[in-house]
Amino acid sequence: MRNHLTALTLVFLSALAPAWAQMVEESLPRDPGPLDFIRGDSYEQWILQSLAGDALVGLGPAGQVVPRLAASWKIQKDGAIAFTLRDDARFADGSPVTAGDVLWTLAEIRRDPKASPTKRVFLEGVEARNQGGLVWVRSPKPPGRLLLELARMPVAQKDHPDRGSGPFSYRKDPAAWTFIRREHFLKPAVDGIRFRLLPDANAVLQALQRGWLTVGGPPARHLPEVPATHRVIIQPMHAQLVVWSRAGAGPLRLLERWRRDAFPPHLLGQNARPSRGLWPETLGFEARTIESATQPPRAPAILRLQYVAGEESLEKLLLALRERARKEGYDLQLIPAEQALLVDRLQRADFELACSMVVFDPHPWAVLEYLEPGGPMNFTGWHHPRFAALAAAARLPGDPAWRALHTLWARNPAALPMLDFRSVIWVDKRLNVEPSPLGLYLGTPGAAGWRWNK
Amino acid sequence: MRPMVQGAAIWLVALVLAWSLPGALWRPIPPPPFPTHALLPAGLAVSILALAAPLLAWLGGPRLASRRSLALLEAPPDLLWAGALLACWPASWGPPGQVGWLVAFLAAALPGEVRWLSAALPGEMPFPVAWGPEVVRRARRLALARLTTRWLAARLPIWLTASLVLERLLGVPGLGMDWMDRVVGRDRVGLAAWVAALALLWLLSRPLDAEAVS
Repeated sequence: MRNHLTALTLVFLSALAPAWAQMVEESLPRDPGPLDFIRGDSYEQWILQSLAGDALVGLGPAGQVVPRLAASWKIQKDGAIAFTLRDDARFADGSPVTAGDVLWTLAEIRRDPKASPTKRVFLEGVEARNQGGLVWVRSPKPPGRLLLELARMPVAQKDHPDRGSGPFSYRKDPAAWTFIRREHFLKPAVDGIRFRLLPDANAVLQALQRGWLTVGGPPARHLPEVPATHRVIIQPMHAQLVVWSRAGAGPLRLLERWRRDAFPPHLLGQNARPSRGLWPETLGFEARTIESATQPPRAPAILRLQYVAGEESLEKLLLALRERARKEGYDLQLIPAEQALLVDRLQRADFELACSMVVFDPHPWAVLEYLEPGGPMNFTGWHHPRFAALAAAARLPGDPAWRALHTLWARNPAALPMLDFRSVIWVDKRLNVEPSPLGLYLGTPGAAGWRWNK
Repeated sequence: MRPMVQGAAIWLVALVLAWSLPGALWRPIPPPPFPTHALLPAGLAVSILALAAPLLAWLGGPRLASRRSLALLEAPPDLLWAGALLACWPASWGPPGQVGWLVAFLAAALPGEVRWLSAALPGEMPFPVAWGPEVVRRARRLALARLTTRWLAARLPIWLTASLVLERLLGVPGLGMDWMDRVVGRDRVGLAAWVAALALLWLLSRPLDAEAVS
């Protein structure tokens, strides 16, 4: 009888074991939808995919390309890349990751009309095939850019768009997204990560203060005292507040001067710093100034700036900018608009000045979206006869062509960053994480590198 | 017939507005999935409300509508109820979740609904009060039996869509958040489906109105 009781107790305790696992409690600001390596496309979905999946390559904490599913790769003379897959990668059902799975994922993204628009753009013009067990990929884009973009495309198992080979297995609970550690070559150390949906920044703050969240971002507008259980981590981000001008470079020259001293430090807090250059310094660009000969409009003049309404901290910063403009006799009129309405006006070029937060992809080619004809950030119809040749010559970060492109832009800019954003998060002191411009999740090893302090 | 046409025209305009909502996204993203897991808690909340509010109105009668205590309970916005719940919720219990949402929802919605029903009850002085408590209870029951179905049809859309503040503060994904997410994400098809569902509810409640008029 006693043995039976012991056995029953053991069975009961083993059933409870997952509940004892030391989970990392996190929050998501938006519903990411079901995990789908083909169709999923949002920042939250990228987090899910980076935990449950592996791309061919990863991005290290400094943004460099590092091995992930591919143990190695070789860039050939014609720009094609041949990847050698590692042999210890397994999908969630235990089957090995093969070249067939990689090719199926790439083909499915290009075939499925509902596939992630971002990934479809990455794969425009890409050819891929199995070459004696190697995955061979060629693109009209420079190989350096292709590698960085492939890092954002985790591989799904053939015919299973929701199944990846990542360091955590995924489970959807009624009001939570749960990831449990599994056997993986990155050797994840934390038992699991559980995300709850917390769209309200104050709710995140409340949950952090109550100890319900291990990691979280407090509201930007006022930083309350950090609880004794947490520490502050500040990460640079590839994110800026950008102003586009349809009125030429003149107004941008004024804004370039005002941004230096318009924003009081107590309004900026830890989340933002005045931008210095024209393109993000976090992507490796030097801080350059506008070199246009266009003269700014003479005071008194009216400048109309449209912005996204509803973000209190941003509105206060723009009010400070308005006051700075007033000192020089300019009337900077701030016109709020709902996010989607502003994007619509930008795309229809129905603005004089408009500003919005921009999150750049983690590679220098991301800035070409300002310059490319029809580029997603080319709202002013910017063009230059030398652009195509210079863009083709920028094959690797740091190539001389980048400097020439930068000069073209500096002489005739259509947009100017006002603020560089940083991510301020509170992390439980017992948890060791590695900050990165990509955030805590999107790099390699990402969450697989987290450790609980003993 | 005329009110029917007018109502249908208004719903049609709402449908056209949902379908042609202006605005665009940086990059087109798939619409959020419908929160099916929220249907059960929402159904439970609505059921409790549908039972508790008429019961309290039956017990309190029309005089309840002018009670100051009820007005005091009705006055605080959802935000305050959610904040109070979060402040009082013991940290060691973990996040309030669906249970907390249900408590805050009922605290926010019940007083208003009880007053809505009580105010709609017919006066009781001098009759049926003069005929005794038995008749008063019967009169209230009959009046509430007529009221309750139309009350449900009128208030259900509000309950289903206006719990956004509670959902955001308590971190419980639900129907209110879904509705708003579709506006933000410019999911015109999803929004039109919401409008069509609410229009259908209105349409189903029309025979009840006709009966009341006759």
